[in-house]
Amino acid sequence: MSDIRNRQTDLSLQAGQLVEAALKAGAVHADALAVADTGNSICIRNGQIESVEREDGRGIGLRAFVETPKGLAFATASGTDVSEAGLRTLAEQVVAMARISEPDPDAVPPVGAEHPDATAIADWQQRHPERDSGWTIDQARDAALACEAIARAYSPEISNSEGADASFGTSRVAYAASDGFAAGYSKSSASLSVSVIAGTGEQMQRDYAWHRALLAKRLKSPEHIAGEAAERAVRRLGASGMDSGRATIVFEPRVASSLISHLTGAINGRAVLQKRSFLAGDNGRMIFPGFVNIVDDPDHDEGLANRLFDGEGTRCRRRTLIDAGRLTGFLTDRYAAGRLQCEATGHARRGLTGDTGIGPSNVIWQGGGHDQQTIIDGIDHGLLVTELIGFGVNGVTGDYSRGAGGFLIENGRISKPVQGVTIAGNLKEMFANIRQVGSDLTWFGSVAVPSVAIDAMTVAGQ
Amino acid sequence: MSRIPNQQHELPVAPETLSSMLARMLPAGADDGDLYIEQGTSESLALEEGRVKHISASSHQGLGARVIRGEAAGHAYTDRLEPEALMEAARAARAIAGGEQPRAPVAIHAAGAAPRLYQQDDPALHVPLTARKDMLERLDRLARSIDTRVRQVFASIASSFSDIHIIRMDGTHIHDARPLVRLNISVVVEENGKRETGSAGGGGRFPLERLLAGDEAERLVREAVRLAVLNLDAREAPAGSMPVVLGPGWPGILLHEAIGHGLEGDFNRKGTSVFSEKMGKRVAAPGITVVDDGSIAERRGSLSVDDEGTQSQRTVLIEDGILTGYLLDRQNARLLGMQPTGNGRRESYAHPVLPRMTNTFMLAGKDRPEDILTSLERGIYAVNFGGGQVDITSGKFVFTTSEAYYVEGGRIQYPVKGATLIGSGHEVLQKVSMIGNDLQLDPGVGTCGKGGQSVPVGVGLPTIRIDELTIGGTQA
Repeated sequence: MSDIRNRQTDLSLQAGQLVEAALKAGAVHADALAVADTGNSICIRNGQIESVEREDGRGIGLRAFVETPKGLAFATASGTDVSEAGLRTLAEQVVAMARISEPDPDAVPPVGAEHPDATAIADWQQRHPERDSGWTIDQARDAALACEAIARAYSPEISNSEGADASFGTSRVAYAASDGFAAGYSKSSASLSVSVIAGTGEQMQRDYAWHRALLAKRLKSPEHIAGEAAERAVRRLGASGMDSGRATIVFEPRVASSLISHLTGAINGRAVLQKRSFLAGDNGRMIFPGFVNIVDDPDHDEGLANRLFDGEGTRCRRRTLIDAGRLTGFLTDRYAAGRLQCEATGHARRGLTGDTGIGPSNVIWQGGGHDQQTIIDGIDHGLLVTELIGFGVNGVTGDYSRGAGGFLIENGRISKPVQGVTIAGNLKEMFANIRQVGSDLTWFGSVAVPSVAIDAMTVAGQ
Repeated sequence: MSRIPNQQHELPVAPETLSSMLARMLPAGADDGDLYIEQGTSESLALEEGRVKHISASSHQGLGARVIRGEAAGHAYTDRLEPEALMEAARAARAIAGGEQPRAPVAIHAAGAAPRLYQQDDPALHVPLTARKDMLERLDRLARSIDTRVRQVFASIASSFSDIHIIRMDGTHIHDARPLVRLNISVVVEENGKRETGSAGGGGRFPLERLLAGDEAERLVREAVRLAVLNLDAREAPAGSMPVVLGPGWPGILLHEAIGHGLEGDFNRKGTSVFSEKMGKRVAAPGITVVDDGSIAERRGSLSVDDEGTQSQRTVLIEDGILTGYLLDRQNARLLGMQPTGNGRRESYAHPVLPRMTNTFMLAGKDRPEDILTSLERGIYAVNFGGGQVDITSGKFVFTTSEAYYVEGGRIQYPVKGATLIGSGHEVLQKVSMIGNDLQLDPGVGTCGKGGQSVPVGVGLPTIRIDELTIGGTQA
């Protein structure tokens, strides 16, 4: 434990020293990140160890602002050299680059953000104590061995294995800004996944299952994960095409989570500013039916994206994104908030280098009153989609066309597995055409989502 | 501006340290193993709203240690090149070895150099940041002057340079230095409240000044604007199965998704690819030859040596329609009893080696492109694509159009909105009925993702006609 604390202290020192170095090199404002990731993973295939990996990585990143007659200009850079000379070199490099950057009158330096106060920080640390995942490499190996063995033995149809993977580790981050704010946190994680193949030759079907949690003891059991993967692979056997035409599409939770990313991408304040969002003009409008509610929750027991402050030190708070179908606003960092003349919502996302981005924390699409079977019961002609592939989503227009696989729904019943088709529509219409939302709310890392049924999409097949 | 702090091309770790790492990590029963040391820098300038508001840079260094025994691999990495951290990595990589005896130390010695396919210097060395910034501003003005409907211009210039040292189990030291540059233009146009985007890019493993000189950059701007404006008029794409003509160049992403991934050695050794049992069998129409060639000078997907130090080569994957080759790294080659093909690649020292593509393309045929298009009674002519993806087990692959036209009676009727095309990798090339004489390689924009790792790749294709493919539009 003291070892962990020491490492966290090292990172805080590095971040603070980097800010100091930037100011010394001529910056008027700066903020810095220092990160360290350690982890292990082990992969088992056919009952044997296939790979063992050990990760030991760290990095520092700096953003520095310089004053020019036309306003503030900035630049960013990252490195791995944390020696005193290394920090100084990085700081000088960033300041020199900032002097070449074009000033932006709307630039927002890291001063005066709504930081969490000392009480909030202490409270957070108490509720989210530093700890490791609880796994040793041997325990991870045993979990992967069990998971793969159960998946392979699940059915005589299971013909091959792509292996089971167990990994665990700790990420540590420290943030410091020239206005004096400094804070950090560490986060453990453990994950278990398995991928198996059913059938042979041209009839082969592969599927997988995974779970990730902050602590190994909170992971779903190897039996659960193995059963899910094997069941999914087996039930796809014999999949064929279906006729082209209009259909109601039921997105099972695993694939419905992609609808959340399309939504959060479109309400990203920077995308809105850049006119790159199909929802740019829809603030305050009904974009879903009235029974749809979606929240962003940065402090949730099940969520993997918990955070007290964002990439600019702005305090994060629970926020309703879709309130009874209505879009309540856009996700912002301080820059987008300034330009859009709204409050900063605490959604700045920073890497070690590169411009600030925007992204959600944990997003929860609240479940409805119908189980998946009831939803299917009410559909004459549809497709239960269990897999999506490809990137055919245009964020500017909302046009949507992706490869899909799943199960044909005929007269309220699942009739046969389907593959090799596409589903298409426009996201704005798809959101409006949501027919029902399932009660089967399921967590996938930092999103929780139920089954979602959407009317009037186009299936292309034979 | 700061560059790689160490003297380039020289080992940043003492040979004696590397020698004792190899001895410590490699058990007597190891089949293979290596140390991979990487030092890299990158710079990027991004323009939006008419201003280069953001310049960023990064530098990184680290070492990956790897031990291979049979089907198992131990891998550890660290970004601290100090002896204690390095020895800890060596110990961790040895985890698969159990209690076997270590090997006797070997001396580190230089390998004979493979032919260099690109310059061994930082590609941005001779273009100051200010010149790059001026260039982006000029391209922004150009885009806005071409068409008044241009509302937003995003332009970026990125360059990177990596210095790589591979130390094999026997102490052989292989060096490569890899430059990479890229220019990207993306515009948003607006008319009557309707918005569309278009983008274009280019690059490769050559000096930045060459990418920015001449007409190439201006051509990319015109192309991005043309695509965006074209898409303003795009109508709904059809939904269903019909013939498709693919244009030359980047539509070669078809080959990358439909067959390339399925021929990677790991999937075939494990029997998880739909192509696993098809070696020597017909997988494409007669006349179709597909190669993967990492040895073309200065291409984005090219490598003088791969990330295991194997010299790049031209590998024939399909010859006259018959499956003839896999893409192999050293481990999968050994397990399959074949020779490595120079396709062992890793995103960085922090990632394991996987068999990956380099530049994958179909050789030219004899048909004239105009004859191929006029053969299309009713179908889609697709000239440009966004990304694609494949399920190598079922063989289902997709790729999404960014410039496509509806064709009737052999004539282009109107542009159609972006649609995903879906097919089966083991079937699609058997449905190719015409092959153009106009092979083109892509402009140098491809990035391939596998197992969470991204590597630069190239593709290429002549104009081809596929008799049947499913088009994922909305007009059923």
